[in-house]
Amino acid sequence: MSETQFDLIVIGAGPGGYVAAIRAAQLGLKTVIVEEQHLGGICLNWGCIPTKALLAGAELATQFKHAGQFGFQVPQLDFDIQKLVQHSRQVSAQLVQGIDYLLKKNQVTVFNGRAQLTAKEKIEVTDAQGNSQALSAPHIILATGAKARHVPQLPVDGAYVWSYKEALVPEQLPKSLLVVGSGAIGSEFASLYQDLGCQVTLIDLAKQILPTEDAEVAQFVRKQFEQKGMKVLTDAVVQSIQIENGQVHCVIETANDVQTIIFDHVLSAIGVQPNTEGLGLECLGVELNPQGFVAIDDYCKTNVAGLYAIGDVAGAPCLAHKASHEAMICVEKIAGVANVHSLDRSQIPGCIFTHPQVASIGLTESAAKAQNLPVRIGKFSLTANGKALAIGDACGFVKTVIHAETGELLGAHMVGHEVTEHIQGFAIAKYLEATDESLAQVIFPHPTLSEAMHESILASMQRAIHM
Amino acid sequence: MSEIKTLEIPKWGLSMEEGTIAQWLIKEGDSFNKGDEICEIETTKIVNVLEAPFAGTLRKILAKDGDTLPVGGLIAVCAESEVSDAEIATFIASLGSSAAKAPEASSEQSKAETSAPVAEKAEQPRSVAASAPVPVKAAKGDYAVPESLQGYQTSDELFTTPHALKLAEKHNVNLAKVSGSGREGRISVQDIQKAVQDAGGQWPDVKQQTQARVVKSTADDSRVSATPVARRLAKQWGINLNDCRVSGTRGRVCKEDVEAVYYRNNPTSVNEQSAQCAVAQPQSTVTTVAMNGMRKAIASRLQAAKRNAPHFRLVVDLNVEAMQKLRKQINETVPQVKLSINDMLIKAAAAALIKVPEVNVQFDEATQSILQFSQADISVAVAIPNGLITPIVKAANQKSLAQISDDMRDLATRAKTGKLQPDEFQGGSFSISNLGMLGIKQFDAIINPPQGAIMALGASESRAVVENGNVVVREIVTATLSCDHRVIDGAVGAKFLASFKQFVENPALILV
Repeated sequence: MSETQFDLIVIGAGPGGYVAAIRAAQLGLKTVIVEEQHLGGICLNWGCIPTKALLAGAELATQFKHAGQFGFQVPQLDFDIQKLVQHSRQVSAQLVQGIDYLLKKNQVTVFNGRAQLTAKEKIEVTDAQGNSQALSAPHIILATGAKARHVPQLPVDGAYVWSYKEALVPEQLPKSLLVVGSGAIGSEFASLYQDLGCQVTLIDLAKQILPTEDAEVAQFVRKQFEQKGMKVLTDAVVQSIQIENGQVHCVIETANDVQTIIFDHVLSAIGVQPNTEGLGLECLGVELNPQGFVAIDDYCKTNVAGLYAIGDVAGAPCLAHKASHEAMICVEKIAGVANVHSLDRSQIPGCIFTHPQVASIGLTESAAKAQNLPVRIGKFSLTANGKALAIGDACGFVKTVIHAETGELLGAHMVGHEVTEHIQGFAIAKYLEATDESLAQVIFPHPTLSEAMHESILASMQRAIHM
Repeated sequence: MSEIKTLEIPKWGLSMEEGTIAQWLIKEGDSFNKGDEICEIETTKIVNVLEAPFAGTLRKILAKDGDTLPVGGLIAVCAESEVSDAEIATFIASLGSSAAKAPEASSEQSKAETSAPVAEKAEQPRSVAASAPVPVKAAKGDYAVPESLQGYQTSDELFTTPHALKLAEKHNVNLAKVSGSGREGRISVQDIQKAVQDAGGQWPDVKQQTQARVVKSTADDSRVSATPVARRLAKQWGINLNDCRVSGTRGRVCKEDVEAVYYRNNPTSVNEQSAQCAVAQPQSTVTTVAMNGMRKAIASRLQAAKRNAPHFRLVVDLNVEAMQKLRKQINETVPQVKLSINDMLIKAAAAALIKVPEVNVQFDEATQSILQFSQADISVAVAIPNGLITPIVKAANQKSLAQISDDMRDLATRAKTGKLQPDEFQGGSFSISNLGMLGIKQFDAIINPPQGAIMALGASESRAVVENGNVVVREIVTATLSCDHRVIDGAVGAKFLASFKQFVENPALILV
């Protein structure tokens, strides 16, 4: 008989769950992780990672388009989307193996099956064959993640109307695609499919695309999208759809009119909802917040003794790195590590892998102003950055929001080539509570795109050199 | 020699005075980065990992697994591979007595002595200073410069450290007659000391001199403005930030400032002893495992208890049906609470200890007195890998069942991760050990000194008992109280158990 009593049970092996399990094992806790499907969760299997693999293909397509600028005459390109999908799946498979290895290395017990809370400190795991096994531990962490949200007017059938999952493994490149929802997921797929040669229409209820991003950034990205031929509709809604002759007829209402547009496929990307069903939460009286996520305190504790929740199931922002960070906080607090700090939401960077990329941290200009904070704004365009011009991709800018009196970096918003790799610089600065003054003194290397970050800070102090 | 660095026993807490090397995590010759795990060090009951304060290569381990050294005690020497083994050996030879504790020291010392005259003949000032032992120990910190070396004068030719120059002027030393051992032949205070001593004079030991000057603030430095790195280094090295110069941006103490204090407090000085540790592995068929700090504590404390305290035991059966019923009711209706039977037994014991305070005692052997406590601080034995620890539920009599349960969950988890603070497991007025979850029916426990008694609890199980002449099935736990007869008599112990039994069997009483 295998061991059934543990110090910690983790339910869900995504970027929240597996990090929690490994950290707990490092700290000396006898840990078990239960996963129903794939180690690595949505992130590794159907989210962050496979989309990045596809986007790398789209990036290549864009570069081929601009190859002439560098003296290359590219002949008619022959693109096989199946190969690209294959690459994407291989990357996921490889990373999943990596997680398996890491869990083994740290002596975390792995159970494949669906977990259900049966009582406090107790769960039952049922595997695919229907065998069940009871496990118990004084601490149980829920890390079950979230799934795509659906609305009745847009029923996902998997064939014509896709969720992110189908969009990741298309059998062929559609000629036209309607993407509903312009958050990170919707915008990334819209950008990806447009770059690969599909005619994309992106639609959102809100007045701007990328509703959580800085207005100026969103406006800029919209212009870039439109320049590459994408149709962007904001303040618009899909009233209904109908499938006729292998195509989707969509009735779309905008501020001005109602029209029917025909697409090969529709991608529903209208947000996510937490995986809370079938876990036995009701029988333990687990409290949920008004949005339906599990309610937690500063250290991820639920209202039930010994039960914790981290990552998407515990609320927005639904980001892998937020889940991993909460995993650390939660486990270290349980283990009694000194100086565990609760999650500071202003320190969570957000990255959107469209072309051009978007990265941000902290307050937007409008959010800062809504809080009546005195702000100075610094802005620097990549068109004045030597490296950006040299690589032939100078579209983008860096915008910084500085507290006018203390010089604190309140927020940073970037658009452009690889800005998702650069935002960590501002994340570190923000964590260390750097001021405009100290950032101005940092030596940024030349010639790099990061110089635009420096110039943006200088611009906020009316000291920009290159503009 | 500037590239040679040392690793010492760090100071991890106010009360930490010494540390034992539990295990080296890297070998001699291994390179490491700053922050890498170097070795595990044990304090009284906590094992922690020493992280590398800098990047380098481990060249020589001076403290073996199981060695105990005071805080600041040298445990290893690190240097990049360009530094030769001979230079490392010389460096070790120049260090203080902590490094010389190694048993192999004496043989190495003779080696160093024999090599010294050879080097002198060859007239290579660098190697002289490097390998020569100090022949004369300065007395009482006096300076006595022989005539042959007197006559201070400055000259552009002279290359000395500022400190050496100042001391030479003060004591009228002719620096032209001193050979320098530093880079490019720079003369250090040690060189002057050596020259003076070689010529038959006296020059006080540099180390003693410096140590006398070390000033350590004790004021709270948490409000001193410092960079994160500086703060961490200061903590690692036991340096008070008030003692640091402020040279960083925005008036902050920076890394360099802390390092400066460290090097001021830890100068390397010439010493007569050397400690090259030639590792001679004794051949044996027995695997010797160094007892860790916890094992040693368990061994000595329980041996003492068994030897010194005349134990007697009292056994009682408890009907826990009412308690189990109450537990079930609470657990099923209050999401925030998950009680175990042990949590409730702790609460019942606390109530009984308040009722019979003669059992809630510690025995102070030194003063031959009994310390009776007004609240029940109950030590609860928790099994952890390779040992056992007794975290304390403090003032259990004043706590609700929910609080006791939360405390136990937290204490037991942190016991396993080694994160208990000393005050969380040292002290206590009474102990409980429960082996019920392992299926043990009944057992005797050894008293946890200086406490006067310990209660051993068995499993909760259905047993046939006789009630009013009929055999019935009841849920029973057997409790065994071990008392130290020097401070608790049989009748007192029995009175306590009777009270405990009453609380257990009428659990409503522990709720009020």
